[in-house]
Amino acid sequence: MSGLFGSLGVAYSGMDTYKTWIDATADNVANVNTVRRTDQPAYQSKYVVAASVPGTENGPAADIGNGTSVAGVELGDAEGKLVYDPNHPLADAQGMVRYPAVELADQMTNLIIAQRAYQANVTVFERARDAYARALEIGK
Amino acid sequence: MALIPPISTNFTRAVTPATAPTAPGAASSVGAAQRSNDFDSAVGNALEDLNSKQLKADQLSRDAATGKLQNVEEYMLAATEAQLGTQLTVAVRNKAVEAFNEIMRMQV
Repeated sequence: MSGLFGSLGVAYSGMDTYKTWIDATADNVANVNTVRRTDQPAYQSKYVVAASVPGTENGPAADIGNGTSVAGVELGDAEGKLVYDPNHPLADAQGMVRYPAVELADQMTNLIIAQRAYQANVTVFERARDAYARALEIGK
Repeated sequence: MALIPPISTNFTRAVTPATAPTAPGAASSVGAAQRSNDFDSAVGNALEDLNSKQLKADQLSRDAATGKLQNVEEYMLAATEAQLGTQLTVAVRNKAVEAFNEIMRMQV
């Protein structure tokens, strides 16, 4: 951790990462019914890769990191699910279309986890801000 | 007559310690000058840092108004840091002025 008000930046990094996760989940949910032809790859669900940021400070607290960051986005299964839907305009000769391998229940679970974790980081931010503000009132 | 020798010895005793630490006295005045420089630069750096935080918060608030802001928490971070930085600067300034006034009120 570094800086005068370091905890704020750390909490912010958590918020930023979980916001990215919520964005990715939103993309997955939005594409849960995105149908492709069977000769095309399915929509690939997005997985956010989080990485911890090492601390920049020296001394006894050097092991405390600077929070987290988004290292990248991994793509899920391109195989998807083959569904028999002969009336679909994209269906092949066997009447099959390709649905993405996105489970709505999984996405909703991820959404709740990401939202709660975001809120937790907001709470950390608020507590740190209140603590710093309280420290500034010493001796008033 | 009996009083004079003690006074003179007191005087010389008072002078010799005073002359002996002249070099350390000069060093301590240099140290004071360095301290004041350090305080100057510390306050200057803090003000510059605060100014950049304020400018960043201003820029982000403009981004929010023009719809360019990418995430809300970035603005909140900048605004909170600017607010806390301002409070800290004001607190340091108040303490410094308080200390100065305390010294000015000192009875000599």
